[in-house]
This record gives sequence, C-alpha cells and structure tokens, in this order.
Amino acid sequence: MDNIAGTKSSLTWVVHISVALLVALWLFPTVGLFVSSFRTADQIATSGWWNALFPTEQSLVLRAAAPDAQMQEGGLYVIEGNLFEGEGLSDDIDMSAWGTSSRDVAAYAPGDTADLGDGETITVQANGDYRIESPAEMSGSRGQRVFVTAELPPDFTLANYRQVLLSGDATDSMAKAFFNTLTVTIPATIIPIVVAAFAAYALAWMDFPGRALLIAIVVGLLVVPLQLALIPLLKLHLGIGIGKGYLGTWMAHTGFGLPLAIYLLRNYMVGLPRDIIENARVDGATEFQIFTKIILPLSFPALASFAIFQFLWTWNDLLVAKVFLIDATGQTTVMTNQIVELLGTRGGNWEILATAAFVSIAVPLLVFFAMQKYLVRGLLAGSVK
Amino acid sequence: MKKTLTSSVAIAALCSSAAFAEDLTVFGPWLGPDQANVEQVLADFAAKSGHNVSYVGSDSFEQQIVVDAEAGSAPNIAVFPQPGLAADMASRGFLTPLKDGTADWVRENYAAGQSWVDLGTYAGPDGSDNLYGFFYKVDVKSLVWYSPENFEDAGYEIPTTMEELKALTDQIVADGETPWCIGLGSGGATGWPATDWVEDMMLRTQTPEVYDQWVSNDIPFTDERVVAAIEEFGAFARNDDYVAGGAGAVASTDFRDSPKGLFAAPPQCYMHRQASFIPAFFPEGTEVGADADFFYFPAYEGKDLGSPVLGAGTLWAITNENQAAHDLIAYLQTTDAHEIWMGNGGFLTPLKGVDSSKFIDAPTAKMNDILLGATTFRFDGSDLMPGGVGAGSFWTGMVDYAGGKDAAAVAGEIQSSWDALK
Repeated sequence: MDNIAGTKSSLTWVVHISVALLVALWLFPTVGLFVSSFRTADQIATSGWWNALFPTEQSLVLRAAAPDAQMQEGGLYVIEGNLFEGEGLSDDIDMSAWGTSSRDVAAYAPGDTADLGDGETITVQANGDYRIESPAEMSGSRGQRVFVTAELPPDFTLANYRQVLLSGDATDSMAKAFFNTLTVTIPATIIPIVVAAFAAYALAWMDFPGRALLIAIVVGLLVVPLQLALIPLLKLHLGIGIGKGYLGTWMAHTGFGLPLAIYLLRNYMVGLPRDIIENARVDGATEFQIFTKIILPLSFPALASFAIFQFLWTWNDLLVAKVFLIDATGQTTVMTNQIVELLGTRGGNWEILATAAFVSIAVPLLVFFAMQKYLVRGLLAGSVK
Repeated sequence: MKKTLTSSVAIAALCSSAAFAEDLTVFGPWLGPDQANVEQVLADFAAKSGHNVSYVGSDSFEQQIVVDAEAGSAPNIAVFPQPGLAADMASRGFLTPLKDGTADWVRENYAAGQSWVDLGTYAGPDGSDNLYGFFYKVDVKSLVWYSPENFEDAGYEIPTTMEELKALTDQIVADGETPWCIGLGSGGATGWPATDWVEDMMLRTQTPEVYDQWVSNDIPFTDERVVAAIEEFGAFARNDDYVAGGAGAVASTDFRDSPKGLFAAPPQCYMHRQASFIPAFFPEGTEVGADADFFYFPAYEGKDLGSPVLGAGTLWAITNENQAAHDLIAYLQTTDAHEIWMGNGGFLTPLKGVDSSKFIDAPTAKMNDILLGATTFRFDGSDLMPGGVGAGSFWTGMVDYAGGKDAAAVAGEIQSSWDALK
C-alpha cells in the first residue's frame, strides 16, 4: 500500500523529534510550576523544584528545649528531648552529621558529644534524641541551636491551594471573584460574536458602496493598541452615566474584540461556496434567512474558534477589569485581581503565584478541550483554501 | 494633659459630624496582612464617626490612581507610597488641600515635624503652596539585619561606626566567610535597593544640605560628591569577597530572596542592609529580636555628621473631597489611629505622643527609637526625584553600575535623563 500512496518522506523523523522537543519545551516550565505549587515559600527559595521530587541532603536549623525544661539529675542539670519533635518532619529521618556552631554545621557524627563551654555538653543521636548536661543551672530564654544534616524525603503541602481557594471572608474570596469573572466573561464573549457575525455576513456577501473601505478600516483597527483608548473610554463611560461596572466592561471587551472577530468571521464566510447562497437567493430567501439558515450553521467552526479566543482573553484579562470594573468600593473584583492581591504588598510570593496559575487555568482548559476541534478547523479554514 | 485635650477635641469634631454619615472610599498600596491592618484602623474610624468606610488595595497603585483621577472616578482618599506622584497630582489639581491647622499640628506633634510638613506641601494648579499630604506609617531604611547567634558563634561585635563596620566586613572575609547579602532584583523596579544604599552613603559622607541639593538636582548627578557616594556603595557591592554569590550575583538576586542567606545553614552571609519591612521575607518562623536582629547602619565617626536616618512613608491625600475624608484626616491625628496599627506590627510613627508600650514587640520599639533619635531625617531621595529618574534611570543606572560599569559614566547617563525631563 505504501507505494500506492507515495513514499513516506524521510523527514518524518525530523518532524517527530521537533514536535517532541517543542512539547517538552512547553511542558517543562509547566511541570515546574505545578511542582512548585505544592511547596512552601521557604522550600522554593532554598532549592529548585527538580530537587523536590527526590530525597535530598539538607541542612536544618533545629532547636533544643529552652532551659526552663531542665531537670536535676544527681549533681547535673539535664535537658532531654527529640529535635525532630513538633517540626512536622517524618519520623524516619536519618541524620548524617550535626553541629552546634554556624561555622561548622557538620562537626559531629550521630552519638558524639560536643562541648558547649562551661562544662556544658550535648549529645545527639541519629534519631534526633538529644541530652544536654551541665554542672551549673542553665539560663536564658531560648534552647540550644543544633544544625542537622540529614537526607529528607520529598515534602509537599496543600497549604497553598487552601490559601488560594479558601482564604478571605465572604465578601472577599476566590469564590466570589470566580463568579464575578464569569459575569464579565460570558456576556463579553457572546456580545461580540453576535455583532461580528452580522457584520461579517454583510461585509462578505452583501453588495453596498464602500464595502472594501469598511473592511480596510476594520483590518486597520486590528493594530490599534487598546491601551490608547483606556482613559478616553472611561471618561466617556463616566460622562454618559455608565460609570465603572459590568456594563462598561462588557462594552469595552466587545469593542476591543470586534475588529479581530469581524476579520476572522468575514474571511471564513467569504470562503463559503457562492453557489449555495445564490441558489437560496434565486429560491426567494431573504438576506436574514440566508444568514440564519445557511451561513451561521456553516460558520460554526469559525464562531467556536473565535469564542475560545475571546473567552481566554477576557478570562485572563486584568487591565480592562482594573480600568472599567474595579472601583474603590472593592465589591467587584475578578480572579486575576484577586490573585494579584494574594501576592502581597511587595509581591514575591511565588508559591501563591504558581498555585493561582493552576487554579485559574482550570476553566480555560475545560473550555479548550471541549471545543478544541473547532479551534483547529476554524483557524485552518480561515487561512488555507 | 495636652495630649488628652487634643484627642478629645478631635473626637468631639468626629462626633459632631457623625450625624451626616457618608460613604468613604480609601485606595492604597497595601495588600495581604497590611490590608487587614489598615482595615482595622479604618473600622475604628467608622465606628467612631459613623461613616461607611471601604478600602481597596492595589499593587499597581501608582498607575491606577492616575487613570482614575484622569477619568474622574477617583476614590475619596488615596494613600500615596511616595510624595513625587502626589506632588505631580497636586499640580494638576487632582488633590484637595487639607484643612487649615493640619500643618501646625504636624509641626508640633511629629518628630522633625517641619520636614514632614515640607514633604506633604506642594504647589497646586494655581501655583500656591498648600499642605496636601498627611504622613501616616513610616519606614526606617538605615538598618542592618543580622543573626545574633551567628555573630555570637563567630565572636563578632555590633559596629557602632562606619569605620568599625568596614573593619568587621574585612574581618569576616579574613575568617573565610562572606559578610554581605545584597540583592537588587525586584521585577520592573530592579535596582531600587541600590538607590537606598547610595542615599544612605550620601547622608554619611555629605551634609543634609548637599543631600537636598542632590535630590532637587541643584547639584548634578555627575558631581564628584555624588559619584563618591556611588563608589562607597560599590566598595561593598562590587567586591567579590564581600557579597554572597560574588559581585555578579548582586543585580540578579531578588531583594526578597537575598536576606534568606542570613539564616541558611551554614550562613551564606552575616549582614543585610534593608528597610524595616524586610522581616516579612525572612523564612517562616523567624523571630525578630531572637533569630534575627538589626542595628543602625552607622555613620562615619570621623565625619561629624551626627546620626542621619533615611526613611520613607505613606501620605494620605484627599482625591475626592467630602466631609468624611476630612474627618478621616482628623482621626489620623489621634493617638488611637497610630496605636491600633502599632499593636499589629510593621508600623512606625513619628508621632511623639504615642505610648511606646503599645508597639507589638521590643524590636519595633527599638526601631522607632532610631527614628525618633535621628539628628537628621531624610526621605528616600529616589522617591522625591522625578519619576523618570527616581523610578527609572536611577534604578537602571545602579543595575549597570553593579554590573561593572564606571560610576562616573552611570552618573552621566542619569543626569542626561534628568536634563531631558526638564
């Protein structure tokens, strides 16, 4: 059969390998982010996420009990206990070395006795049990610092997800922000599609003077950065009494999304077979009937692909929401803004950033997988004839 | 007696207006724990005044307040993290002058009161000077953080003069260790920690008058005294032996991560110069006062410049006037407003009448003593310079300098960017 269908290109392997490389290139940071979302801030700051997957040798700073726990045994004052207790570490830690000075953190082997000066000594066993002996009463408010070098198993936490999903009160929570985001996103996706579908049909199949010029203007608007329009548009909204709120946000998203929507849909509709439309006209169909009965069903892939684009863009949007929606009362916040707030005044909470990325990715992923076949078909149909 | 009198007058003023409860929106830079703190203060104000107060924080406050003011949707009160932006907005007519008498109150009740009045006084749209900003919550920047136990292990003493600090730095190097952790990384603001260093060095090598002239560009950036201050910073940051990770790591290390080297085992460094807010980025469970402590970034004994302190602060200004906004400014003049946040930590105040036992812990009280004990207090110079310099070329210039560029060349570039803004 091979020779009938033509020989396979010898470049197939190159294609496969480059695809694999590209996939790895995209996946690598995503996996890193995913692993980081299960780590604490201190872990992220001290070691890379790839270290988190395997047991690693680490130096810990632990503390013996404070001197007020001392007991008298014969002529000696003694403090006994376990270093690993209450540290949230697993039980079967095997330490390889320990020390009492920051200058030499691995000075002693497990079971050794170290001199703390003034006749005071400390003995630490491999399982973390320690015993401090002193001939005189010990004083001070803090326990002896002990540096421990040990092999630690991977340690993951769900605390970040708990913080992102469940922190905040009833008026200031991720759940509220989630529904606010949906309130912004759904109308902001549907309105431009409806408007653009009508416009695209007219620009593709209705003859009227100035049509080519209109198309050129729409294409020209594609390159206008939306940042240019932010303040004038907000002034307009305040001037005509809309103010900051959902209505203004929907209109802004609609306006900013329309040039691309019209351009994409018009290109798709122009490619539909002329015969069908002319037949319909001959049979007496009105323009509206042609549009609803023929064009819309045939354009479904293009509509779906633009819907995905617009949905992802409005879902991830922070700029438009900050300008047109979020006012000083703080009642209307969206997920992207809520995530930024979780990062704190000076930013830098990478663990929250990683976790929030995966929380906010969930809905777009669902939408994408549900509609992805239309995305590819719609894109190709718009360009390749 | 006087204190109780003034506060009772303020409370009486609050009560008299309580009959007309209004909505009050406050917009500021605080998020996270700080947001909870400011909301607690505002809740107390709401309870005492009867107004409905809401607070919103933003990490991009500087951009958003401009957008809102331009479009006419400004909040009632904006909390500016730096005076430069407030001055700019005052000159464009977006701010309302504070009530008469506020300036006198600040002059009388704040330590170094006149300097706080000066920092909050700007030219309005008609060119006349008015007090627009009320300072509430300040930071001290001239601090060196260290781990007392690591100092004890190594037998180091806390230096009280710059000469001693330099000797200690050399001694740590001689012991085979690394003295400093310095990180300039901060996303789009990368470089700002170095500007604090240079400002601190300016105050320690030159008189406050020279500092003021530098900040207002009456003496150019290329002046040899400024270049010398930049080089003083370079003496620490550009010496591979002095900095954890080597001089090459300074510009690329994030400022939020750099203090963590103090607490590593074994320690990666022994000292970290940073403002009073930095404990927020210490490893979880670090106790300030025990695991970590600070000392005043000392002045040269040989220069006789006293003990200068570099600081910063937030100023509250009225961006959309109503009675509630004026009531809030009046409320901020009561000791209650200061003591509530003092009890939550991370708050310093120049208000002389506060009860220092209300500070959350001894280290914060000690920090406030540094603030009150300053012979010279100067505001973070980069915040007072025009945005294009203080939040632009000065930052990038310091990154270039940390990367090995010549100090005079860097100063020349910053000056030419300043000239371009005039």
